[in-house]
Amino acid sequence: MSDNESKNDGSGGPGGGSDVNRRDFLKLAGLASAAAGGAGLGAFGYAAGKDPNTYLGWQNQEGASLVFNRKRYEVDEPTYQEVGPTSRPDARVEQIFERRGRFMREYMRLRGGPGPITAESFPEPLRSYYLAKPQDLDLDILNTEELQPLNRADAMEYSDPLILSQAWSAAMGAVGPGPINGPPEVNDFPRGRGGTRPEPMKMKDPAKTAELIKVISMQLGSTLTGITELNPDWVYGYPIRGRGFEDLEQPLEIPDWWTYAIVVGTPMSWDPMYANPNYGTSNDAYSRSRIIAARVAAFVKALGYPARTHTPGTSYDLIVPPISIDAGLGEQGRNGIMITPEVGCNFRPAVITTNLPMASDKPIDIGVDDFCLHCKVCAEECPSGAIPMGDKVEVRGYRRWAIDTAKCQNFWTSTLGNMGCRLCVSVCPYTRKANWLHKTAMKVSANDPTGLSEKLLTSMQKSFYPGPDPQDYYMPSLGGANASYREPPWWLKTEDFIDLG
Amino acid sequence: MQIFNSGLFWFIEGILFVFVVLGMGAWARDRGLRVPVWKWGLFMIWLLLAGFTIAFVGTSFGEGESVAGTRGGLLFGAITIIAGVGLWRVLLAGAEPGGGDVVSEA
Repeated sequence: MSDNESKNDGSGGPGGGSDVNRRDFLKLAGLASAAAGGAGLGAFGYAAGKDPNTYLGWQNQEGASLVFNRKRYEVDEPTYQEVGPTSRPDARVEQIFERRGRFMREYMRLRGGPGPITAESFPEPLRSYYLAKPQDLDLDILNTEELQPLNRADAMEYSDPLILSQAWSAAMGAVGPGPINGPPEVNDFPRGRGGTRPEPMKMKDPAKTAELIKVISMQLGSTLTGITELNPDWVYGYPIRGRGFEDLEQPLEIPDWWTYAIVVGTPMSWDPMYANPNYGTSNDAYSRSRIIAARVAAFVKALGYPARTHTPGTSYDLIVPPISIDAGLGEQGRNGIMITPEVGCNFRPAVITTNLPMASDKPIDIGVDDFCLHCKVCAEECPSGAIPMGDKVEVRGYRRWAIDTAKCQNFWTSTLGNMGCRLCVSVCPYTRKANWLHKTAMKVSANDPTGLSEKLLTSMQKSFYPGPDPQDYYMPSLGGANASYREPPWWLKTEDFIDLG
Repeated sequence: MQIFNSGLFWFIEGILFVFVVLGMGAWARDRGLRVPVWKWGLFMIWLLLAGFTIAFVGTSFGEGESVAGTRGGLLFGAITIIAGVGLWRVLLAGAEPGGGDVVSEA
């Protein structure tokens, strides 16, 4: 309507007030709409924040739409770097559980003897290891002599409020395939009629086979699945299972049928995970990943191909995180584990090695490497100081983040949580619900070449999502307050269900 | 809460958005403001910012992150208000002397 018309219509006489009314109506409607639209957005946000479906998890067996589109983030080389001559890890001393098992056996023998216990007191390979890393001998002794007895005393005094959490963890760990007891040449192969090895099926196309394995693994419960050619550097130099006790001292020859690695896995249940270290458990995802891996291996074997599972907690012949990174599921974070775009660090993977011909996935670069340079939230929140504040280091020829596993395990030995701490998983900015807010933040960070958003998001993370003081995570006996990162879910609050007297 | 995952919710939000834009247009005409495209652009950005702030607060409280909701709400709310004041002045900078058109004076 032109100004002239407006002037003529603005008299307020019969038939003349319509424009004024219409304009007033529009202004009023605009104001009301702004209020209603704002309220709607607030309610939408609240619902998005509460929505349990944004906890991407094992239950989304066909949740392909929730899986991040990795295509545009694919790179030829992973974001850890090969910088020198590489070598395979010696699990006998570099795998914390294996080393401490060996240490305990020797330490108990040595403790009754004369003279001080030094690195020289131990047989190989512990002797060489402790000579190179004397601080780890101190930490291993500390764990045995002080932390474990203290933890037993703390458990008597403080564990009652954690009964539901412990019961839930026990329930989660109650089911799962047992450990592999046979060597690869026996265990890995399918058995046909009469115990003979069946002829492998002739697969038409490696790319289609890879798609098949992925969709089958998701049907079997895997949240994320990736496939890669197996880098021998990730296979232990010595076995820690599947051989007789004596054979464990013989180097592990990599079987020629360990060509490919299929990585499957699921996240831990989210709400308890945020209440680490006291209420979370690894058992839930461990159990699911073990079951999925066993099922995928059974599927592959049924096609006539060899398959071997490498599953949590300790039933491995290889290191899983770098294989998962090679398979394009994520990047290594400062906390030493893999960060995925979907579930952050909240992912417990398992691997199936096989020679079923499949197309490999490419590694991805979603900006985690740069983000972790600035963020350091996990290092600041880690009570044990196991996560480095500094730069990456070279480990066996690869430049990567490396945590101090002895310090790490010493802390979680001292807590009453379910066999672990997992705080670095809880506090990671990538370990968030898959709702609009965190998905947007992740994508902004992944696509910003300036690095500004990383700094901004890091500041927001530290300001908006504070946690307890790291010292507070310790037990009172060690000067702490037995704190958890967040409140447990209502169904793990023991005092609401059980009369503790 | 299924409504928020449906197209219907965003359809209704879209209708409300249209009314906000129409209301803004009516208000500008009342004041005799010239609103070129770039000012409309600024207005849209401000609406986005305001919407983000509200949704951020809602989401944070929904997640149980009340500290994030409060601190984020204060921070983004302050930014939204300051930007709103700036936008207001930018919009009024185009006002014709004597105010709006005859209709608004009638």
